[in-house]
Amino acid sequence: MRKHDPKNGDEPGGPSRRDFLRGSGLAAASAVLTGTAATALDEAKAAEEGPKVLSGEVEITLKINGEDRKTTVEPRSTLLDTLRNRLDVTGPKRVCDRASCGACTVIADGDPVYSCTTLAVTCEGKKIETLEGFETGEHGVPHAFHQNDALMCGYCTPGFVTACKALLDKNPNPTLDEVRRGLDGNICRCGTYVGVLQAALDAAKAMKGA
Amino acid sequence: MALTWPEKPTLIGTRITRLDGLAKASGKAKYPSDMLPEGTLFAVMLYSPHAHAKIKKLDISTAQSMPGVKGVVAIAQEGATLRYHGDDIAAVAAVTEEQARDAVRAIKIEYEVLPHVVTEAQAMAPGAPEIVKGGNVRKGRSQDNGKTGEAFAKAEVVVEGKYSLPVITHVCLEPHGLTAKWETADKLTVWSSTQAVQVVAQELADSFQIPVANITVLTEVMGGGFGSKFGADVWGRTAAELAKSTGKPVKLFLDRVQEHLAAGNRPSAAGTIKLGATKDGKLVGLIADTHGTGGSRGGSNFPLPYVYDVPASSRVHSEVFVNGGGARAMRAPGHPQGCALMEAAMDDLAEKLGVDPIEFRLKNLKPDDFHTPIYEAEVKIGADLIGWREKRKPRGQNGDGPIRRGFGLALHQWGGGGTLDKKVSCTISADGTVELKSATQDIGTAARTVLAIIAAEVLGLKPTDVISNIGNSTFPPGQASGGSTTTPSMAPPCLDAATKARDALFAKIAPALGATPADLSLQGGKLLIQGKPSISWKEACRKLGTASVSEIGSAVEGLASTGVGGCQFAEVTVDVETGVVRVKKIVAVQDSGLIIDRLTWDSQVYGGVIMGLNYGLFEERIMDPGTGVMLNPDMELYKLAGASDIPEIVIHAYEPDEQKARGVIGIGEPPTIATAAAIGNAVSNAIGVRVTEWPMTPRNVLNALAAASKEGKA
Repeated sequence: MRKHDPKNGDEPGGPSRRDFLRGSGLAAASAVLTGTAATALDEAKAAEEGPKVLSGEVEITLKINGEDRKTTVEPRSTLLDTLRNRLDVTGPKRVCDRASCGACTVIADGDPVYSCTTLAVTCEGKKIETLEGFETGEHGVPHAFHQNDALMCGYCTPGFVTACKALLDKNPNPTLDEVRRGLDGNICRCGTYVGVLQAALDAAKAMKGA
Repeated sequence: MALTWPEKPTLIGTRITRLDGLAKASGKAKYPSDMLPEGTLFAVMLYSPHAHAKIKKLDISTAQSMPGVKGVVAIAQEGATLRYHGDDIAAVAAVTEEQARDAVRAIKIEYEVLPHVVTEAQAMAPGAPEIVKGGNVRKGRSQDNGKTGEAFAKAEVVVEGKYSLPVITHVCLEPHGLTAKWETADKLTVWSSTQAVQVVAQELADSFQIPVANITVLTEVMGGGFGSKFGADVWGRTAAELAKSTGKPVKLFLDRVQEHLAAGNRPSAAGTIKLGATKDGKLVGLIADTHGTGGSRGGSNFPLPYVYDVPASSRVHSEVFVNGGGARAMRAPGHPQGCALMEAAMDDLAEKLGVDPIEFRLKNLKPDDFHTPIYEAEVKIGADLIGWREKRKPRGQNGDGPIRRGFGLALHQWGGGGTLDKKVSCTISADGTVELKSATQDIGTAARTVLAIIAAEVLGLKPTDVISNIGNSTFPPGQASGGSTTTPSMAPPCLDAATKARDALFAKIAPALGATPADLSLQGGKLLIQGKPSISWKEACRKLGTASVSEIGSAVEGLASTGVGGCQFAEVTVDVETGVVRVKKIVAVQDSGLIIDRLTWDSQVYGGVIMGLNYGLFEERIMDPGTGVMLNPDMELYKLAGASDIPEIVIHAYEPDEQKARGVIGIGEPPTIATAAAIGNAVSNAIGVRVTEWPMTPRNVLNALAAASKEGKA
């Protein structure tokens, strides 16, 4: 699969917003500050374009795992429900439905997001990665989860695998504490954490061999 | 010759990855809630916003005419009484889920709100509104053993304490529900998130008055049950009804809120326990007055006395009825409660006697009980692994700084064991395919893999060479995944089936090989003749021609057993200024007879401990006495451990040869029982006073410190 590399500026229209921020010396800013700045930029852009009100049924195209998928949603439809109910992309799971358990995690433009609280209409033009697109061979995160039995019922597993992949994409050499923090947005009820933490560390090693 | 487990297995007892593990880890495994047959309608439930109310008027007409709506069904009728926040009222099926949600909101209801009791204190208060005929508190029959009056006359040291544990909910990550599709007017297929495919099939057959053979319940994988997913439930029957009336497949899974409210819970437990001993540390008696709530239906009883040899005991348990969702079995039903209350009292008594809690426990194990030597060995191992003798200090002697370190332990027991009426089929085809079939399912324990390991062991193959088909109610009878009985019920018939299939294969192909069946054996993917490798497994099977062999295996006495005992130790730190408890380390020592897959055994034990850690530290259903609603039906205020909350966990399988000789027992439940008890004891050891209420939250810790301070104890 394609790996997201912000340095490439591989989004349509040249360098991404994230690159712009890096180039403008904001790279060292905390994630929160970066997020705030990004929001401000979004708002500025929206003001230039004028208000756009969406209602009823909206046709959108989402780029999911490198493939353009066209579907009809309502403006209120979440990315998660759109993936699961309309596009049969069922890897991401609906568990808490309010951004507290992480089972619905997908990667949007390189960042892990809770798809249960992301509106589908805001995702046009973004690169959406779900775990169905991940490398399943021995250099991939799913393999490390399998080898470490980092799953029992397996319903939280897609979210953990995705959060883990997103973490390792940004931090290929995480410490155990960084892994814990990187996965703290996910909950497992079967209590598979011991295997999950080891899987993340093993995957970090294996991905370097890819 | 009687069938036995192989003496020198090559696979059984080793670490083998799950057959379906990669499918789950790559999002390719399809859960019942992922199934969307062509044309599926989405159904959404309407449930009670009130704790107690009568439906005066129920009007579904507007909802019926909403865009996309194909079916509306009233579950409760006008005049019906709603008994709790979350009680079922109606369901809507529509083309999109968004439309179904809109239509649910358009159902018009007039309620007559009735007085409620949602906490035990409310229910037990004098003059409380009676929510059930006969009173909210129902005193059980006294369970007496011996004469406690005489016993306590002999007691030299006595403690009396009040302890309590709250209601907690299962929080299965995949919600309860199913997708139903009628193939013809009397043939139904459902994809159900269940731990009992055949129970669901029978329930639907009864509801729709069709033969159970016409119902296929499919559960390829499922997202957690813990005891709450044995049936089709009201919502499952409703989905099937909507599918029938609309002529389309209907998918109905609960939302997270109703999942907490209506899909089951572990009942609370509370009580006053008086425990007495002689000065030399021998228990003489126990008197307990306990209660708990299982919601509006009861079911809160738990074992007490627990584990230890109490010569005389007298115990009364009262059921308290509240306007809350009903109790369902939850991982080792009753045992975590009985264990916590008993072990707290045991610890408090050891403290008062001034003896080491381990010594006190060992002194009071039941003589002649088979558990006793197991506990004696396990406690020694556990004490070493936690560093009990070097690190532990007596209660309250853990320094004057704000952070206090403490150690605690608890013992538990569980039945497990299997039933003798389950079957597994094993088919060997001419192309070398081996297929197992049984109508059991995998709740997360790796049932599919466990069966494949056994067949592969018998046939000299790899587990991945075996197709292990479960999760289909039409297959040979299989065990429900409950009570830690799945593996002990299914492993023996699997061994029997694979052995019979192997023998049938040998009988068929021996003549073509110029050998007798007794000359043949299987090893490393090869057929051996008189011990010498001859042809590959596939070549051997090809000699079947176009035929295949298929055998049904049954349970065989002596391959499974029942009853385990385990112990757990906890090391905690407590900040006495903030009340924050951090668990540093947990040691779990557990027997379970013959272990089939050590890798997934480890996962089950870790998982049990972590569920116990949640019970000990975080979980509680919080009901609002004023409005009667649950305040935390979600996953942020209903707290569960995340990755940063997981301490060092050391697990130890107690498996000397005599344990292996007992056969398969089952492991899902035992390792979750003692954790909360051990954590509670470690907290008391750290801060010098008993925290009487679980979970060990800052509030409960600070309350205990404040109460002790008032009494001049701390």
